[in-house]
Amino acid sequence: MSDTETLAPSATPISSLPIAQANQAGFTLTPPHSAPAAMRVTKRSGANEPVDLNKIVRAVTRSCDGLRDVDPMRVAVKTITGLYDGASTRELDELSIRTAASLIAEEPEYSQLAARLLAGYIDKEVQAPGVYSFSQSIRLGFDTGLINERVLAFVETNARKFNDAIDTSLNARFEYFGLRTLYDRYLLKHPHKRQVIETPQHFWMRIACALTQTTSDAIELYHLFATLDYVPSSPTLFNAGTRHEQLSSCFLLDSPADSLDAIYEKYKDIAQLSKFSGGIGVAWHRVRAEGSLIRSTNGLSNGIVPWLKTLDSSVAAVNQGGKRKGAACVYLEPWHADVESFLELRDNTGDEARRTHHLNLANWVPDLFMRRVDEDGAWSLFDPADVPDFPDLWGAAFEQAYVQAEARGLAKKTLKARDLYAKMMRTLAQTGNGWMTFKDACNRACNQTAQAENRVHLSNLCTEIIEVTGGAETAVCNLGSINLARCVVDGAFDFDKLAHTVQVAVRQLDRVIDLNFYPIATARASNLRWRPVGLGLMGLQDVFFQLRLPFDSANARELSARISEEIYYHALHASLELAREHGAHAAFADTRAARGELQFDAWNVTPSDTVRWNALREQIKAHGLRNSLLVAIAPTATIASIAGCYECIEPQLSNLFKRETLSGDFLQVNRYLVEELKCLGLWTAEIRDAIKLAEGSVQSVVALPEELKIIYRTVWELPMRALIDMAAERGAFIDQSQSLNLFIENPNIGQLSSMYMYAWKKSLKTTYYLRSRPATKIAKATVTASDTVPKKIYSDSEAVVCSLENPEMCEACQ
Amino acid sequence: MTTSHLLDPGFNLTLRPMRYPQFYEMYRAAIKNTWTVEEIDFQIDLNHLDKRMTPAERHLIERLVAFFATGDSIVANNLVLNLYKHINAPEARMYLSRQLYEEALHVQFYLTLLDNYIPQAERRAQAFAAIENIPSIRHKAEFCQRWMDSVQKLDRIDSDADKRQFLLNLTCFAACIEGLFFFAAFAYVYFLRSRGLLPGLAAGTNWVFRDESAHMAFAFEVIRTVRREQSELFDEQWAADVRTMLADAVDCETQFAEDVLSGGVVGMSAAEMRQYLEYVADQRMTMLGLPPIYGAKNPFPFMELQDVQELTNFFERRVSAYQVGVQGEVSFDHAF
Repeated sequence: MSDTETLAPSATPISSLPIAQANQAGFTLTPPHSAPAAMRVTKRSGANEPVDLNKIVRAVTRSCDGLRDVDPMRVAVKTITGLYDGASTRELDELSIRTAASLIAEEPEYSQLAARLLAGYIDKEVQAPGVYSFSQSIRLGFDTGLINERVLAFVETNARKFNDAIDTSLNARFEYFGLRTLYDRYLLKHPHKRQVIETPQHFWMRIACALTQTTSDAIELYHLFATLDYVPSSPTLFNAGTRHEQLSSCFLLDSPADSLDAIYEKYKDIAQLSKFSGGIGVAWHRVRAEGSLIRSTNGLSNGIVPWLKTLDSSVAAVNQGGKRKGAACVYLEPWHADVESFLELRDNTGDEARRTHHLNLANWVPDLFMRRVDEDGAWSLFDPADVPDFPDLWGAAFEQAYVQAEARGLAKKTLKARDLYAKMMRTLAQTGNGWMTFKDACNRACNQTAQAENRVHLSNLCTEIIEVTGGAETAVCNLGSINLARCVVDGAFDFDKLAHTVQVAVRQLDRVIDLNFYPIATARASNLRWRPVGLGLMGLQDVFFQLRLPFDSANARELSARISEEIYYHALHASLELAREHGAHAAFADTRAARGELQFDAWNVTPSDTVRWNALREQIKAHGLRNSLLVAIAPTATIASIAGCYECIEPQLSNLFKRETLSGDFLQVNRYLVEELKCLGLWTAEIRDAIKLAEGSVQSVVALPEELKIIYRTVWELPMRALIDMAAERGAFIDQSQSLNLFIENPNIGQLSSMYMYAWKKSLKTTYYLRSRPATKIAKATVTASDTVPKKIYSDSEAVVCSLENPEMCEACQ
Repeated sequence: MTTSHLLDPGFNLTLRPMRYPQFYEMYRAAIKNTWTVEEIDFQIDLNHLDKRMTPAERHLIERLVAFFATGDSIVANNLVLNLYKHINAPEARMYLSRQLYEEALHVQFYLTLLDNYIPQAERRAQAFAAIENIPSIRHKAEFCQRWMDSVQKLDRIDSDADKRQFLLNLTCFAACIEGLFFFAAFAYVYFLRSRGLLPGLAAGTNWVFRDESAHMAFAFEVIRTVRREQSELFDEQWAADVRTMLADAVDCETQFAEDVLSGGVVGMSAAEMRQYLEYVADQRMTMLGLPPIYGAKNPFPFMELQDVQELTNFFERRVSAYQVGVQGEVSFDHAF
């Protein structure tokens, strides 16, 4: 859309448009279903004019350059059909965007069309108060109290350079979903008028300027963002350059001590951190269990559940700057006497006073528990008041203390380890929550735990951060993710490009540590001492689609491990360079790296090129590292949708699915699949319906070649064993951890207990959600009905047999 | 001891051997889908109603909620007074019992919704009196009485005529009320959701939609079963009656749409709604093995969203796809 001509009306009403004229333009004109002849719209100026189909078609057509399979007429006609008499031109513009978006599931190119229409719409909104350049946008942001002085000064001093560097052609990188997400939630809004005051390119440049100190660094970083090669985490996108530069994603807090004051202090810390977009991980294993004596009152404690209920309400009350809801995960070790109630916190039945619908739950599981499960042994539960040292012990020291406590008869209760394990599995299956994270693996393979007094007490909200915590230290992590989809160049994975991206990204993440606004003092103390960062990745599935590799094939597995090895290597290298420039981080001497131990040593894995690694190792010993931790694979939920790629390390969920966000629901089609189908002449309404009917699976599409069926399996059709193996293979090169979701369509306890035992035996540090699918399916509202009618007719005996012998999966009854 | 047909009068108590295991499986699947109103967060909705919606859209919502508030009660009454009595298999009655609970849950959901959306006691009372006060909703209630209440005076259905009357009631219930009125109501909700509005209403509606889909599937399965057992009941008169009834329902719901959309809502016109109703009616005809009436196409691409699996970002909303009732024991040799 141009600046001067909008999707707005002109003098020619629809009814007067000669059909022949439209045909000459190459379109078949279908009269709108219901538009009355005298439909009028209200312009932004307040003037009232008849709707002009022609003009709408022209405006849409201008956004169709280079798109082969979109039909501007279709968008225009459909737009008019949904209009009412007297609608505003703004509503007309919005409707044309939504109309284009609604066609994406039929033809993925409409995603780009919708994005371009939206980009034009945003331009108009930004220009309305007179913003035509990046520096003007920053100025307005400053004047309205949003942008800080540092960034204003930096931009005004170099205004011409930055304005010239803005490249609007990079808008074409966006898919509709990505741009819509940016527009709805990320672009800065005028505090009162609520209209955006920056375009998407201004937005990237603003963040780049906030995170750098020289113009060349800023422009280099801008390009990395704007090309969608690398995207920093949401808090950085929300807050960089603003007056409250809280840029970190994750905060990890050790359990409050077992006192009223300590617990309420912890609530306050969590609320402060949550307010500025941070996700919270908090342990609770120091707080006494139900029935424990309270000396001062001679009463008995109600245990941890009422405290967590209060935490639940507190977290829900803190709305992250109106941008998203607060979120927290509570970690508990399974020796805590309240663990059984803990596992019921997310149930949707039972006493509401003992339910926490907003909290996420994770089990912080010691090896000893898994061994007792494996051996079918007993398991004892303790009150922390009796065993106050347990949370600070791991490995052999923990096991010794635990066995002694059992011998001294301190246990509050003893049960079969497998019964508790079964309960954990049930919680996972029913709520997706109660994540299995492994205390000893996390401590054993953490760079920060070289000294016995430094211990990891929990992971974070998304189970990818592993950092030490204590009363005086709240762990922090700044995240960003490389878009691997953009590393495939000319049909091959470009490791040089990856290396370059890693270098720039690590410097940016490191810079955040110094810039960051820390809502509480213990977070600042910890972060300046350890300087951890979490560089992650997204779009692994895109790489496999682009290279036509089945997700669990040997080649894919090898590539996946190699990518993580390269990221780790270059991240360490960048941190080494930073240490040479600015010095090693303060606690370097307390790390394993100082002794020359790197992540893969803890996994007993030999990297591919030992000469290269040994050289790096020696340099690290000599010069130190600027950052104690470098790599963490976060879930990338929102930033992957901005970048238009699949989330982190995850296989695709479906070839056709919708995404729900605060900005509404979007339908996505696997565009790689559509390309393949188009080449085969198979992208038809029938095949699309067949895929929809099969819940996004292509396995029943008879026409599809076997080779493609294997590539386009969904995560429900992949063996989880392969996902766990791949996680372990890359784990040797991830010094923090990875948000590893596992997927079982219809889980049962046997399957889950096997799977999580395997994950533990493969030395995974953490796992994340267990995803399952709805127990009953929704009727397909838009697939032709006769297809959904079961065709099978039973004989009476068959009907009885099928339900008796196979009650779980009665195929005949589906 | 066993009766031979599903619609034979009586109260069969025999579960083994089970004659209709499909009903039992449906019952079990429904149990796995238990949800509670407490899980739904209306906070964002209130903000949207206050700040992001036009008067025309607020009118839409008020009408819609008014319909929902009474619609599920009508369904529940019919379930108890008409269906339960005559569908004579204990496993089917297990399903109906479960369905009755779900209908109550829906009533609770819309009650809570209404209490949240309309804080003023007087307007609240008006909304609940929708059946009397709002002509377009009263029409729908009259439609239900016209096609369903005739069965209420039957204590036993013995003759084929009684059975046909019962089948018509069931068809009305499944194809018109649950299958058309509710589907239209869902379309308004999903239209708003496609624009990012009212996530609380959409979240609850997702659950209700899932439940209603299952109810409809059950009712159609009953009809299929009866057709298998007594195909003679499905004569041309029945087909003609169903056709008239569905056309009547489409007209009735069109009137409602004209009221709901009377303020002018961008992206959804009454004409499109009419087309959608015709499309849905055709689907119901096809499901009943009858030829479509209108040959209409779906005008609402956002309804496709509903067909496609959810991928909820947990920062945004609560995942609504977990299961209740997990089976099995700890073991280490399962495939995964």
